[in-house]
Amino acid sequence: MPSLYFNLSFGVYFLAMVFYMGNLVFADKILSSIARFCISCAIISLSIYIGMRWQIAGRPPLSNMFESLVIFSWAIAAVLIFIDLKYKIKSIAVLVALMGLLSLGYASLLDKTIVPLLPALKSNWLTIHVLTCFIGYAALTVSFVSSVILLFKQKEDKNLDTVTYKMITFGFLFLALGIISGAVWANSAWGTYWSWDPKETWSLITWFIYAIYLHIRMRKGWKGRKAAWVSVIGFLAMLFTYFGVNYLLSGLHSYGSS
Amino acid sequence: MTIKQTGIWKFFSSVKLAIWLLSIIAVLSLIGTFIPQNQEAALYIERYGQLGYRALLSLGLTDIYSAWYFILSLILFSLNLSVCLLNRLSFKMRSLGTMLSHFSILVILLGAMIGMLFGQKGFIEISKGEEVDSFLSRNGQQVNLGFRLKLNDFIYTEYIDPKEKLFVCSSLKEAVCMMQGPHGQEKAKGIIAEISPEIGVEAETAIADTGYKIKVLRYLPDFVMDTSMKVAVSRSAQPNNPAIEVELKDKEGKAKTFWVFARFPDIHQEIDKDFKFIYHWVGRRPKDFISKVTILKDGQEIMRRDIRVNEPLRFSGYTFFQSSYDNEGLNWSGLQVVKDPGVPVIYAGFILLISGLVMIFYLNPLIKYEVTPRA
Repeated sequence: MPSLYFNLSFGVYFLAMVFYMGNLVFADKILSSIARFCISCAIISLSIYIGMRWQIAGRPPLSNMFESLVIFSWAIAAVLIFIDLKYKIKSIAVLVALMGLLSLGYASLLDKTIVPLLPALKSNWLTIHVLTCFIGYAALTVSFVSSVILLFKQKEDKNLDTVTYKMITFGFLFLALGIISGAVWANSAWGTYWSWDPKETWSLITWFIYAIYLHIRMRKGWKGRKAAWVSVIGFLAMLFTYFGVNYLLSGLHSYGSS
Repeated sequence: MTIKQTGIWKFFSSVKLAIWLLSIIAVLSLIGTFIPQNQEAALYIERYGQLGYRALLSLGLTDIYSAWYFILSLILFSLNLSVCLLNRLSFKMRSLGTMLSHFSILVILLGAMIGMLFGQKGFIEISKGEEVDSFLSRNGQQVNLGFRLKLNDFIYTEYIDPKEKLFVCSSLKEAVCMMQGPHGQEKAKGIIAEISPEIGVEAETAIADTGYKIKVLRYLPDFVMDTSMKVAVSRSAQPNNPAIEVELKDKEGKAKTFWVFARFPDIHQEIDKDFKFIYHWVGRRPKDFISKVTILKDGQEIMRRDIRVNEPLRFSGYTFFQSSYDNEGLNWSGLQVVKDPGVPVIYAGFILLISGLVMIFYLNPLIKYEVTPRA
């Protein structure tokens, strides 16, 4: 039964991307309305899927790579509907939907078996930590998309720069919340709020890169292309924090790789 | 000439320096994630060779986060932050967020320093029934607790997979109970009963209509027969030889007990000519580590508590965390002991940081909106 909602989410997510693409090509209001309807359906059916999995497992489904990818695509869809309504930049909507779809597609290749939680993960901090991190990741994904579009465009585009900046301020704040909740959790589980574990360290590196972005933009007045490059580097660091650390380096978060 | 006009002040008040320092700290941290930190010499020698190891040591790369240049960059960063803060010191509503968020980083670094200077961290390996009144701290000092901690018991529980079962097959029905295979344990015909090996959950199960009843008594992850005592014991907590003890009652109620082995399905199968027993074992995962402790002071019992992962015990400034255990015989528990007076400071820094960021990004734009008409 839950897998029905997983497949349904996949389907409507895909349709959303197709209609956003149609809107990009034909610039038709009806197409963009259908796309928004589809992405809303994706959010609802992903929420149902997450809720059902939560009920079956008896714990929040936030404990391994598969579950985190589902949360990631859910967060991307939520941020997507927000920026689409606020900024209405068609190309961003297409590519952000594609990113969410990639995340869900990757999830579909992984093992969906529900396994019981390791003792270290049994904590209320799990939900706060994972949710704040992934809301942050989703916002930073949008900032990456708008930076890439900006870099590919011949003309400077103020709107794209604004979206990048706004999404980075939001992502920066949530990344800070994610790191802090992780530190508080580590302190209550192991008595150490910071141990230079590779995941911790990489999240801090990512946060530093975005701190650099904010300073060069707010204090040095770097806008447009120059700032967009820093945003791209920050996103690559974020990807490494999420995937690279799990697959290439070992540490406290090793359970995240399965 | 005021201090603000000196070259050094200008140097430390620049945003450019801040960006450089952020980059340097990020790169050094990055190096530390690719070179294993604080490991045994043998690991480095195996990975990088004798020469490579010596090079890493002399560059401080085996403990980069304590290396002089890392600490120096943090000190420069703090100076940079402090000077920038003083330079732009302002208590206007609009600057509050910037002030708070930058000040918070200093508070967090201060908290970390307090922890390093006045905190204690150590490890206690305590056996069942043992009492301790001190611990060995990380810097090699024996620290007196001022009270006694006794480990009454250590409990380790595991999740039992619903697929883990004891199957009873009938040898009468020419049944072939082939249960081998890497994944797909095929349910061969002839299975007449399935029992979950969760002890005490299913009391007695009737084997079809044969009048026989079966019950699981005990589970041993690493079965071994103690030859001198003639009793079955578990050599370790590792599942090297999972086995369950089973009690089989016949129609008259006469009971027989015997062991069924997951890895050796053919042992002890002469127990009853009518039945064949197959223990299908699935990897178990750890569920809980519980240290049951008592705190004693001046011979008086103060409290009894369970220490679990994520549920530490706090007493007179010390916090005890469940951090490891004896995975061989489950005889001792490893507790991490921490006293860190820097933690409240760090948490205050966290709150300041988040408040500051929210002000800069979300409250200031609103305030600006209100101010505009005046301009």
